Amino acid sequence: MAMKTSSAKFKERVDEGLHNDFMRMAVSSAQERLHGRRLTAVDELGNWEDWRSLGQEIRQHVLANLDFYLHQLAENVSKRGGLVFFAETAEEASGYIKDVIVNKKAKKIVKSKSMVTEEINLNAALEAIGLDVVETDLGEYILQVDDHDPPSHIVAPALHKNKEQIREVFKEKLGYTQTEKPEELTAHVRGILRKDFLSADVGITGCNFAIAETGSIGLVTNEGNADLVTALPKTQITVMGMERLVPTFDEFEVLVSLLTRSAVGQRLTSYITALTGPRDEGDVDGPEEFHLVIVDNGRSSILGTEFQSVLQCIRCAACINVCPVYRQVGGHSYGSIYPGPIGAVLSPLLGGYDDFKELPYASTLCAACTEACPVKIPLHDLLRKHREVIVEKEKMAPFSEKMAMKAFGIGAASPMLYKFGSKMVPSAMSPFKTGDSISKGPGPLKSWTESREFPAPGKESFRDWFKNREKGGNPS
Amino acid sequence: MKVTLFATCLVDLFQSNVGKATVELLERLGCEIDFPESQICCGQPAYNSGYTKDSKEAMKKMIRTFADAEHIVTPSGSCAAMFKEYPVLFQGDVEWEKKAISLAEKTYELTQFIVDVLKVTDVGATFKGKATYHTSCHMTRLLKVKEAPSILLSHVKGLEMTPLPDAQNCCGFGGTFSVKMGDISGQMVEEKVCNIQDTGADFLIGGDSGCLMNIGGRIQRKGEPIQVLHIAEVLNGM
Amino acid sequence: MKGTIHNEESFLANIAKNLGRPVIIEGISLPVWKNSPQREVLKQATPNELVEELQEQCKRVHTEFHLTDSTQVKHRLNQVIEQLGNGPLIIPKDDRFSEYELDDLLLEKDTFVWDHQAGRKNIEKAERANIGITFSEMTLAESATVVLFNSKDHGRSISFLPSCHVSIIPKSTIVPRMTQAAAAIRSKVSRGEVIPSCINFITGPSNSADIEMDLVVGVHGPIKAVYIVVEDK
Repeated sequence: MAMKTSSAKFKERVDEGLHNDFMRMAVSSAQERLHGRRLTAVDELGNWEDWRSLGQEIRQHVLANLDFYLHQLAENVSKRGGLVFFAETAEEASGYIKDVIVNKKAKKIVKSKSMVTEEINLNAALEAIGLDVVETDLGEYILQVDDHDPPSHIVAPALHKNKEQIREVFKEKLGYTQTEKPEELTAHVRGILRKDFLSADVGITGCNFAIAETGSIGLVTNEGNADLVTALPKTQITVMGMERLVPTFDEFEVLVSLLTRSAVGQRLTSYITALTGPRDEGDVDGPEEFHLVIVDNGRSSILGTEFQSVLQCIRCAACINVCPVYRQVGGHSYGSIYPGPIGAVLSPLLGGYDDFKELPYASTLCAACTEACPVKIPLHDLLRKHREVIVEKEKMAPFSEKMAMKAFGIGAASPMLYKFGSKMVPSAMSPFKTGDSISKGPGPLKSWTESREFPAPGKESFRDWFKNREKGGNPS
Repeated sequence: MKVTLFATCLVDLFQSNVGKATVELLERLGCEIDFPESQICCGQPAYNSGYTKDSKEAMKKMIRTFADAEHIVTPSGSCAAMFKEYPVLFQGDVEWEKKAISLAEKTYELTQFIVDVLKVTDVGATFKGKATYHTSCHMTRLLKVKEAPSILLSHVKGLEMTPLPDAQNCCGFGGTFSVKMGDISGQMVEEKVCNIQDTGADFLIGGDSGCLMNIGGRIQRKGEPIQVLHIAEVLNGM
Repeated sequence: MKGTIHNEESFLANIAKNLGRPVIIEGISLPVWKNSPQREVLKQATPNELVEELQEQCKRVHTEFHLTDSTQVKHRLNQVIEQLGNGPLIIPKDDRFSEYELDDLLLEKDTFVWDHQAGRKNIEKAERANIGITFSEMTLAESATVVLFNSKDHGRSISFLPSCHVSIIPKSTIVPRMTQAAAAIRSKVSRGEVIPSCINFITGPSNSADIEMDLVVGVHGPIKAVYIVVEDK
């Protein structure tokens, strides 16, 4: 799927999102549920700010010493017989994985949910050589069956679809004949995927957190699909973003607690699994061969910059679940596999400003994201920093905006000019006035007055009132 | 107590009533108000749009303007939060960093000042009606003023407060966002107004003029009989 | 068997370059973290309070809870098995089944005992089993989680493939939360022990809320989960 999920322009995508009533209902109700569950989970835990500080401190320490911990991880994985491949680019990563699979003469691959494999466009690379790749997370499976509809959320990828739509997709693609009840839809998928698990040659997983001290891979799910993906096929390939690791089981435990509460409001999810190397001697299940692919794909260029803190991210989606903009436009509007505030920060860094320059502006900077983040990434401030880069370094800001801001800079720094300008405002606006407000604004104001009135400036500014009052005139 | 008022550009140009109410309220509480004329704007519109360099000139102007103030009080959580951000912006700047810190330290949002500095929770106001309160994002999340407005409103005689559903969601103002992403902003404010309507309140009270302009503009467009008031106006009610 | 590592040097060099310093691959020790809220959770709880917490949390994770003692465990397990529709059963090769005098019961019930020498047959048995029965190594009261250490005698499939998962929880295995389990695993590591290739933290049955955020219990793994807490002898 790669980072970019749509070739449509940002405005068109947003327009489509805003006109998709079902999606908007689904998103707002999901947000409300997840928000409530998260708050409950956080409240009953207590000391939440201490937890966040701890999460932040752990993540910052790991990022500052990333080479050390990656080295330790690789050594410990290989000590247990695992095969480690460091991939700087998406192509290197998917090329390596393809080679492993081809060498195994494998045909069927089962996957558990992984954002990084989306990012490196792995499924397309494997399908292109005729492999049967099956996504086993229920949400991902629904999207895959529906001709690879892109995910709209990083935790609940099929959030934008309702059960009736899912029933129709299943009917058309899987010959499904039952009702739209989630239980029946799910039971049907269980039956199909059970066979896939048992017959797959290779299992591919992402990685929530790797544990450097033991060379373990931590996987967090509710469905248990990652466990079947790693227990049954003979070969396991785990793909991890290079920053997704922790020093020891102690920090793993802390970050898992932050993740499950923030993502779904659960104390722990149903299945949390720490896998170390391939199966031990004598084991019947678990992979005979274990590959760990550690992916950079643009992450290293974020290190050492003002955006480094975004790499603290543990992919919980709490920021997405509280974002009032995401709530209106849905995930697809972002045009990236990473939507919402985290996506608006991360996508331009990993995928470039050319494709994603609008995303940092899709925010009111209300800071709900920053407040929700369990590892204290200052997301709203990073969005603002992106704007700064777009204006000052990339020089991508529109000319009219630049001029307006220049004028603002000069006006706001000079009382004389400000006074002159502000005196002009009432008369400049008067042609657009109806009563005490403006219903059809000129220029950029038009976008405001499409949906609301704009106040006409008062005849007397506050400063004039204050001045007159001091002189003894104009009692209030 | 001497108070230097930072009125904010929105109040100055569009909502002089809010400025007046702030002055009268603070005077009633025993403050002596000073309004330096050279004040303009905190620089937030340019800063939040990425024009950091351009905004710094406006900020320096404000630092100079308020250099001698004892307490700077502003009827806006958002603009107060911007002043508090100055030290970060001038970090490492030998000439300006200290001055920015001093400015930030003596800046208060109006309700915060009344509760935390004046130590007053009942301003003696009377206001008859049923109202709901919009918690603005910058006031609660950036400035972290969460309790002061509701404490003060709870003591206003005759005022019945009713909670606003989904109060934590932004109203969609966001400064330049409201024109740059006008269609998204319009949907956000529509949802906010629907929630306000659902409360059955006759008044919508808030502490930030930007939000109130946005919400009020939508209420007016819909022709709803809900009056939008700044908290200074309610607390000034006699 | 030792594995291999590819492309490490250039990869790490690039990271170090961006961090603005030479490559570091040794000499970093773990800092003492400024906060440790995880150690405060259920800190003062007595063993009985931990059982209560576990029981309460079971309700929220769709898991049936039983409390019994070693004399009654056989009887209680029998009830549970019958209620879940009887066998086939699959269990790990684990001495604790004898210690708790459950052998006779299991013999009656069409039980397959994991036998690593039988190879793939184990997985077929697990796939066809109605119930998998395990012993929890550590039990997390806060989240109602059982911890399983897999090995050649304790296949991973036992807890994943059958329709139901019953876990027997010796009361002494109950700890406040994952913090204590992590510490126990770390102390194994520091003693130089090799940790199992698969450690499971399992909380109730498999579930998903991917369709309209409606919780469906039983997706890929077990549809039902039952915990039987046994008072220590």
